[in-house]
Amino acid sequence: MNALRIIIIIAWRNLWRNPRRTVLTAGTVSLGLGLLLVFLGIGDGSHRQMIQGAVRLGGAHVAVQAVGYQERGGIERTLSAEQIARVSSWAQSNRKQLGITQVLSRVFASGLVSSADGATGVRVIGLEPAKEKGVSSFHEKLIRGDFLISTRDNTAVIGEGVARKLKLEPGEKFVLMVQAAHSPEIQSLLLRVAGVMRTGLEDFDQATILIPLPTAQQLLKLGDEVHQTAIVLDQLEHSQEAAEDGKRRLGPEVEVLSWLDLMPELRDFIKIDDGGSYVFNSLFFMIIAFLVANTLLMSVLERRREFALLDALGFTPVRRFLLVILEAVWIALLSVAAGTGLGYAGHLYFYHRGLPLSLFYSSEVSAGGALIDPVIYSHLTWTRIFGAAQLVFALTFLLALLPAWRGAKGQDAHLLGQA
Amino acid sequence: MSNSKTTGSLLRLEGVSRQYTQGEETVHALRDVTFEADGGEFIAIAGPSGSGKTTLLNLCAGLDRPTAGKVWLGNRDLSELNRHQLARLRLEEVGFIFQAFNLIPVLSAEENAEFILLLRGMAGETRRAKIRALLKEVGLEGLESRRPGQLSGGQQQRVAVARAIAAEPKLVLADEPTANLDTETAFSLLNLMDRLNREHGTTFLFSTHDPRVMQRAHRIIHLLDGRIESDERVAVEQA
Repeated sequence: MNALRIIIIIAWRNLWRNPRRTVLTAGTVSLGLGLLLVFLGIGDGSHRQMIQGAVRLGGAHVAVQAVGYQERGGIERTLSAEQIARVSSWAQSNRKQLGITQVLSRVFASGLVSSADGATGVRVIGLEPAKEKGVSSFHEKLIRGDFLISTRDNTAVIGEGVARKLKLEPGEKFVLMVQAAHSPEIQSLLLRVAGVMRTGLEDFDQATILIPLPTAQQLLKLGDEVHQTAIVLDQLEHSQEAAEDGKRRLGPEVEVLSWLDLMPELRDFIKIDDGGSYVFNSLFFMIIAFLVANTLLMSVLERRREFALLDALGFTPVRRFLLVILEAVWIALLSVAAGTGLGYAGHLYFYHRGLPLSLFYSSEVSAGGALIDPVIYSHLTWTRIFGAAQLVFALTFLLALLPAWRGAKGQDAHLLGQA
Repeated sequence: MSNSKTTGSLLRLEGVSRQYTQGEETVHALRDVTFEADGGEFIAIAGPSGSGKTTLLNLCAGLDRPTAGKVWLGNRDLSELNRHQLARLRLEEVGFIFQAFNLIPVLSAEENAEFILLLRGMAGETRRAKIRALLKEVGLEGLESRRPGQLSGGQQQRVAVARAIAAEPKLVLADEPTANLDTETAFSLLNLMDRLNREHGTTFLFSTHDPRVMQRAHRIIHLLDGRIESDERVAVEQA
């Protein structure tokens, strides 16, 4: 214990024999760690906003659908009234535990809309306007007119592209044609434009119309059936847990999907983006690693006589090895403390003020089928901070191995006689 | 001869040679050196620069390995010990004093002096009391908290002596211990070493090329070009 204490003390004091070098080394690692945390915060924040944005544009944290609907689609694959009731009951009883904030029923279909100025294919979404207003952002995306009101059954909100193609404005009428869900019968309905929306997702705006759920059910001859029960949670991180719970409780008659399976393009985009970030961060840290390795090795090589002295005094090779490792550990501790502070300060700045994408892009950007918010807010978790701190410790330890081995090797007794 | 009680052969070198290769040239630092040192002796290794004094001391401590021959410390053949075992042996049985003082620059005088005891795990209070007494004995009372850079050469060497003898090693090796000291400090240091030898029975083996220092030794081994030229025991007046 005495020996370890004196080794720790020597290691600490050795750092301050050359304070400028120590500050520069620890500063470099701190800066690296700080920037890494800022990058991670902005990266995670942007992904999180993309997911939440997608959820607010007709997605869900968890979705319950008929088996096979996600993979194969099909207007006929519906949830029965009994299944919807079971889902509602499960959601109601687990509302607190899983953080469920809303349960929404939705109907999806492909159809053809026509006006006096032409016709175009569209994706029809039947939804519950009042409930959607609480969790979705459709109503915030209106550029003209009003959002749907349940009681006004024959109204629709249309994408800006649809409005442009068919030269439709709020209050004007158009015809929607779809196939009935369980028969080849073609159904048509005269609808009035309630509002025009621009989400920023071009594909969405070019070919989407929203109509009230009862209207959609009636048009498709669905009765009480729906295609999806969308569940919105208070915490994105609970999605998988909620989906797993749903799978267990609701059984194999329905498919329960978290956003990861519901929005595979977005999931894959995030994976690729994370992969790119890891490569960039690895290269960034490798550059820092070379600087630190060089500093550590130099600090040992210029103290060869001291290591020879320690050897002569009976300081075993293991203890000399430990001494260098502890010097590196002290640097790592200082770096982690300063770097975490620096990174967290950067995170707080971007958490409150956000990073405006207008600095880099002149127009709205979408990726993975989701819109990237114009201002990105940092989201940094303790898991990320501990992970980054562990990385710094592990890296510093690895970098110290060669200098520590050199320090342990000794064999410089001839230097002891030099003044 | 020392008047302290001898304890038999403490150090033995038998046919020890050490040669180095410098470029294409082979340097014979020591050639076929054989001698024994008993416990409690006060021995000077004398000779001009380059005669092999430092090499001999390094070999005696296991800091270097002979090209030929064997070195025994007590009953242990140093050639059979690995670097870890050699370090342990030095920690337990050998003290060092260097020409260049070689204190640990980041430790205070007291911490330097207690360094060996710390490594040997001696308990705090006992250790501190012993070191305080020792520093007082070597004339460093009141300077305990000073770092080496804040001490004069003579004071640093006294700390080095305190460090070397604190753990009461059987053998103290001193490489030109007075070479960087003024005459007064040098003699003061020699008196101290002599007293420790007489009072504690510590064996001193020190190198020097200063005739005044040699006069204080009880036995002088003369080295020239790596060979023992003479090995003489001398009668010395008590200091």
